[in-house]
Amino acid sequence: MAQKPKLAMYWASSCGGCEIALVNLNEKLLDVDAHFDFMFCPCLLDTKISDIEALPDGSLAITLFNGAIRTSENEEMAHLLRRKSKLLIAFGSCSSKGGIPALSNLSSKSDHFGTIYLDNVSLDNPQGILPQTRTTAPEGELELPEFYERVRHLAEIVEVDYFIPGCPPEPHQIWNVVEALVQGAQLPPKGSTLGGGKSTVCNECAHRKENKTIKKFYRTYEIVPDRERCLLEQGIVCMGIATRDGCGALCPQVNMPCTGCYGPPEGVLDQGAKMLSALGSVLDIGSSKDLSDQQISGRIDAAIEGLPDFAGTCYKYSLAASLLGGKSR
Amino acid sequence: MKIGLYVCTCGTNITATVDAGKVIDELTAQFPESYAAQVEFICAAEGKEFLKDHLIANRPDRVVVAACSPREYESTFMQILAEAGINPYYLQMVNIREQVAWVTPDPAQATRKATTAIRAAMMRVRYQEPLEKIEQEANGDVLVIGAGPAGLQSALFLAEAGRKVVLVEKTPVIGGMPVLYEELFPTMECGPCLLEPFEAQVLHGDSAHNIELLLLSEVTGVTGYYGNFTATIKQAPRFVGTTCIGCGMCVEACPASAANEFNCGMDEKKAIAMPFLGALPNLPYIDPGSCLRSLGQDCQLCLDACPMPGAVDLEDPGRIVERKVGAIILAIGSKLYDCSKVNGLGYGEIPGVYTSLEFERLASSNGPTAGEIKIPGGSSPASVAIVHCVGSLDPQHQQYCSGICCEYAFKFNRVLEHKLPGTKIHHFYKEMVTAGKSDFVMYEHARKNPDAGFIRYREIEEIQISASASGQKIAYRREDNTVDSIATDMVILCPAMVGSGDAAKLGDMMDLTRGEAGFFDELNGRLHTAQSKVKGIYLAGTCQAPMDIAQATSQAMAAAGYVLSGLAAGKKLVIEPISAFVDEERCSGCRICGGVCPYKAITFKDDTHTSSVNALLCHGCGTCVAACPAGAIQGNHFTNKQILAEIEAILQ
Repeated sequence: MAQKPKLAMYWASSCGGCEIALVNLNEKLLDVDAHFDFMFCPCLLDTKISDIEALPDGSLAITLFNGAIRTSENEEMAHLLRRKSKLLIAFGSCSSKGGIPALSNLSSKSDHFGTIYLDNVSLDNPQGILPQTRTTAPEGELELPEFYERVRHLAEIVEVDYFIPGCPPEPHQIWNVVEALVQGAQLPPKGSTLGGGKSTVCNECAHRKENKTIKKFYRTYEIVPDRERCLLEQGIVCMGIATRDGCGALCPQVNMPCTGCYGPPEGVLDQGAKMLSALGSVLDIGSSKDLSDQQISGRIDAAIEGLPDFAGTCYKYSLAASLLGGKSR
Repeated sequence: MKIGLYVCTCGTNITATVDAGKVIDELTAQFPESYAAQVEFICAAEGKEFLKDHLIANRPDRVVVAACSPREYESTFMQILAEAGINPYYLQMVNIREQVAWVTPDPAQATRKATTAIRAAMMRVRYQEPLEKIEQEANGDVLVIGAGPAGLQSALFLAEAGRKVVLVEKTPVIGGMPVLYEELFPTMECGPCLLEPFEAQVLHGDSAHNIELLLLSEVTGVTGYYGNFTATIKQAPRFVGTTCIGCGMCVEACPASAANEFNCGMDEKKAIAMPFLGALPNLPYIDPGSCLRSLGQDCQLCLDACPMPGAVDLEDPGRIVERKVGAIILAIGSKLYDCSKVNGLGYGEIPGVYTSLEFERLASSNGPTAGEIKIPGGSSPASVAIVHCVGSLDPQHQQYCSGICCEYAFKFNRVLEHKLPGTKIHHFYKEMVTAGKSDFVMYEHARKNPDAGFIRYREIEEIQISASASGQKIAYRREDNTVDSIATDMVILCPAMVGSGDAAKLGDMMDLTRGEAGFFDELNGRLHTAQSKVKGIYLAGTCQAPMDIAQATSQAMAAAGYVLSGLAAGKKLVIEPISAFVDEERCSGCRICGGVCPYKAITFKDDTHTSSVNALLCHGCGTCVAACPAGAIQGNHFTNKQILAEIEAILQ
């Protein structure tokens, strides 16, 4: 019997949700097993890194790489798996665009260390000890991965063949990709996004949409939105307009605003900037005729009061891959 | 890709600071497949000829001209590309004169800046696509809404040029407001006398066959766009047909009457009546509001009295018609600011306090008093106050000056002087405005009237009018802060002009914006006052701003001129290719773009659930491109790829 192609799944700086999403294939996981030798997945299997290192280069047919690149260990694994894989797929928001970990790019490494190790009421660290990559102990030298200045997404480190968006990717979309790979279907050009649509979440959302003007933004707890109408039109910042479709509009369908996990739509370079541009275009502050600049900015401030964390809302999953990138460089 | 770069020296305008040779050397090294040429005056006849011949000989894939402002010569060079057989949209111009040579004195810096700017253009031009102008058939017919002086002027002018005009008027009569005025400033000529020959032209003149006049009609819907509008018009029944000879026997027979709107409700008219004496067309009409039949009674006295069979048709159902036109002229006029909103003037409460319009009717021989100026008791006033600037020049009301009130106030002065010699006249004014070449004459005449006095008040709210046994008492505060009061028999208020009540409805229907006073916004307040912000919809008369008859009729000619020039016979509409377009596959139908277009070029297609940009209406401004969160709207000639290539080259 011919050897089955090898499948690997790795987590870098991630939460484990992507592995859960894979397991959520349910009985289809057996089909995955039938077609692949699922041989490396630290979350689920006991294979070691040394087993991967021992393989000839290009031995892994497919690696689903989830998680962002926060540490030197993440980076090392990215290089190793790139070398060993025929197809390296950035799996999920973190490896595709930086994901939630990349929001930490809004602060510097020293800010993070300050909060985590030095300036926090729950700390007891009078000597101000910070993590070091090398520490000499009586037993010998200890090594910790380096915590980088900023979080990067996978394609900043190595060449990525395809991207699968989502936090986490939806199981039906994972299956679509697996099925296409199994059947040897014609794949799109390298660098394309698989397992998503070409439009935005609104395309899959059944809420009724009208021409939009927004007088004021609300946070989700402030109003009970109409179940039929577009949430954004009701002032709730729903990212669906600036987010790739493919998820089935799961969140807005249950009246929760889309948070943008499928990333920017095809061809859009910066999801947050696009969202800002769209919101700015439809924000209705009334007639600004004869108003002073100060009065106008006062009206804008009042209208956007319900959007207190712009970056956290509009760049929630895509900051590392955005044009602006965040504070830490 | 072979890019042909042409660097103009503009005599020494450019090369005094920019080292053209160095620029060319550096760029040809960076773009080895391209070539460059230095030209002394590329805009001169010789330069243009050189460019054309050079393009034909070298056949570049793209062309960059580094010279002066594209505002000056871009279209010239595009034309040359076309003549050389190259798509004109393959051209990119770089302004190295105004933006580099003239503002950067240091030669090294200027040379570096010019090189960078040209490199950006060369990077950008690689992504420029061949674009074509598209031509589309257009309908040359015109819908004119409103048959006052402006509407009549537009309609007649267009009809004389051979255009079919649909002239829609809400009332049963044409002529608008001035036909109700006995005399007009500044020459004191009779309003109906001025307008009737004009009205007759529209009704029976040589070009009248080109005008379809729809009276008692309102436009209820407009769809489509410039060159291809469809208007729905609802015509209420008149109940009187064109076989009527206007003898008036039906009017005499009619037993019902109600307040006469043409006399501001100051008298009554029969349910079947002429609007007023001398109204054109000379046909009575039935006001369903007061006709006994609409109250359920079986009256047909008018029909019985009529000597012309079929002239009275009590079963007239009215009709709804649809008309296809290429352009629309709005000439719906304006109205007076509601004087009851100004505290202390007692309008609507104190007898003898009139608006200027009411006074016009009191002074008209076809008005409620047959032209005799009388106060409520039936006697003639011995003392009249004329209050200027009511609701004008006042942040609490309207901030602007309507520009005609002082003039008609002085006209009233003359009317009173003439009809009731010796009557005391008090002009209360905040500001006095008598602009124009003949308007001062009216003011001077009023000043010379020995019975007239002028009082400059400080604020309108400091004028308190109260009823007294003989008439009114007016307490006021002068400009110099002193207070006083006078007794009058009659008060005439001269209110601000504001947008008509119908402007909101029609504006919403046609996506026209209005200012706070209700006037339609023009495309440009200096250059294009007769053009609305929607292509193919034009403005004439006081629906755009307060103005007098002379200005309104001039603007009406301007509006008609736009139609004749834009929709010239045999000329197709050219659709500029620099416009936005929607990629339907990527459009999610979120409708963010729906309201952002200043030119109303975006519509939503219900069948595909996607937005679409009408290229004919699109000005290529890019607002929707920026707004589209799906990246589904692309701006031709300003694609992301082109812009990013340009930025990257500059940042290199």
